[in-house]
Amino acid sequence: MNRIEERLATLQAKKEKAFITYLTAGLPNMEATAAIVKAQEEAGTDIIEIGVPFSDPIADGPVIQQASYEAIQAGANLKKSFELIAGLRADGVKLPIVFMLYYNTVLHYGLENFVKKCQKIGVDGLIIPDLPLEEQGPIKQYLTGDETILIQLVSPVSAGRIGEIVKSARGFIYCVSSMGVTGQSGSFHKEILGYLSDVKKQSPVPVMMGFGITEAKDVALMKDVIDGAIVGSHFINLMREHQFDPQAAKEYCARFKKELNLM
Amino acid sequence: MSNTYYGQFGGQYVSESLMNTLQEVDEAFEAAIKDPEFIKEYHYYLKQYVGRETPLYFAENLSKKYGTRIYLKREDLNHTGAHKINNVIGQILLAKRMGKKKVIAETGAGQHGVATATGAALFGMECTVFMGSEDIERQRLNVLRMEMLGAKVVPVTSGSNTLKDATNEAIRTWAKTAEDTFYIIGSAVGPYPYPKMVKEFQSCISREAKKQFAEQVGGLPDAVVACVGGGSNSIGMFADFIDDKDVKLVGVEAAGLGIETGKHASAMALGNPGVLHGMCSYLLQDDDGNIQLAHSISAGLDYPGVGPEHAYLRDTGRVEYVSITDKEAMDALLELCKVEGIIPAIESAHAMAHVFKMAQEMNENQSIVMCLSGRGDKDVNTIADYVAGKGYLN
Repeated sequence: MNRIEERLATLQAKKEKAFITYLTAGLPNMEATAAIVKAQEEAGTDIIEIGVPFSDPIADGPVIQQASYEAIQAGANLKKSFELIAGLRADGVKLPIVFMLYYNTVLHYGLENFVKKCQKIGVDGLIIPDLPLEEQGPIKQYLTGDETILIQLVSPVSAGRIGEIVKSARGFIYCVSSMGVTGQSGSFHKEILGYLSDVKKQSPVPVMMGFGITEAKDVALMKDVIDGAIVGSHFINLMREHQFDPQAAKEYCARFKKELNLM
Repeated sequence: MSNTYYGQFGGQYVSESLMNTLQEVDEAFEAAIKDPEFIKEYHYYLKQYVGRETPLYFAENLSKKYGTRIYLKREDLNHTGAHKINNVIGQILLAKRMGKKKVIAETGAGQHGVATATGAALFGMECTVFMGSEDIERQRLNVLRMEMLGAKVVPVTSGSNTLKDATNEAIRTWAKTAEDTFYIIGSAVGPYPYPKMVKEFQSCISREAKKQFAEQVGGLPDAVVACVGGGSNSIGMFADFIDDKDVKLVGVEAAGLGIETGKHASAMALGNPGVLHGMCSYLLQDDDGNIQLAHSISAGLDYPGVGPEHAYLRDTGRVEYVSITDKEAMDALLELCKVEGIIPAIESAHAMAHVFKMAQEMNENQSIVMCLSGRGDKDVNTIADYVAGKGYLN
């Protein structure tokens, strides 16, 4: 079974919600990223998204753009991101890990080799924000096993596309809370509730909400229609404020996770 | 949705938020170009506002000097000074038809920005133009023009601060605002149906040129030449000649300081396909698959990719793509000024330089038609600095 699906099944059995974070690989360096991942595993974060930095992150807002830029300057790339994950697995890290990356990074590495590498070292899922359903054919032909799965994104204006997108989805559905790019705090789409309910009704897998979330209370209104929350840009800002101190990550994640399940 | 590919190139590599928008644009576009009323309105503005048709000028002095017949399709004589306005009129009429009240655009040299600001003023739309901060420096005049026309110019300071980054920012803004905003892409790039739309609205260039050549000379020219950044004037210049197999088609990319130096903007020279700005095409990229900075003295050619149909035309061999260095382009620019009294845009001077090279292999009975895509007024500072040996930005 896939690690993501396994974790989500466990949570569902306990009637708990999932807490997911995003972190750019190699910001400020790979050692720091590894330490923050380990701290989060201890804190109870359910899934971690590792962003592989790309020069032209068109689906990201200023925070993740800047993080990607700095990480690239510091030498981060796909090869080193693979080494990071391999190292974490070698150190016994068990929590599900998802790569969030842009399609050109994958294409440049070679689709088949990329998927094989992910399967081998323990990248459990892929989020590719510039690869909509219509363009997924080529990579899907290699994603046939359980080791690595493709996570589908749905937006507030997906409307009639939702059914088709969720039909073959695995792991979870990543529902973006607003139009556009990552990290727009407090500006969820005006029809957020109706839209999330719509996805929830149609989806055979858990539904997670992301984009613009900072605290557990941000998703209080939507708690009945989502199965978890994803924190990206805010988590990066928080890490910067605390000089990438793993202890700060641990405290934040433990608190968010607890509050999420008290709602 | 129709087939979104040109061979293996093209497609729609955008976030899910934009997929329905692209579908809407595609449907509206396909309906519009089949609607005689829309076509009539488009041609009305091309004639009465843009000033088409543009002349096909027989450059007698150059022809005599270089020993072959050289014809210039004078897109520099369009309102706003370049071919960009042809496409803007088409897309803005489409935006209006779709009920959008706001338009956004990216711009490199500023010509597409000026054209969009112009169209927005004409049709009473709110206009925002994204422009790299470096391009704002080297194309100051066009920034002032856009502002006079009522557009808001947003400086982009991410990445390389040029056209690539302005395009990223325009796509991000579009993804946020697509519900009431139309994105007017100026080059033959982007997700489908943009490359098709840009070609459709620029094909007036070759339609006219073909007819004018037949009237003035008879038959078809031996060769057709145009410069290629993203590839809008060139796809428009090639469009009606693609099926005429005897006409040699040549696209001229910017070789910057020379392909071998790595400081150039010839996306097709190395033949490395990838995905950027919603399309799969040839791109300049490094060993990690990150997009590399393009380099050219010409802001309009300073782009690391190329339109997907050009990538396809390259692979099928229908069009030959070559490149011209900064120096060759500037020499040709000054030559055109002195011999014909025309100050061309630095972009167009790249095509001119290659025409001079081709002329060496041709005789006085043969003909080359070149797209003179824009005028050089916007470039006078860059040209003056270059002539004075001061170099240039980027």
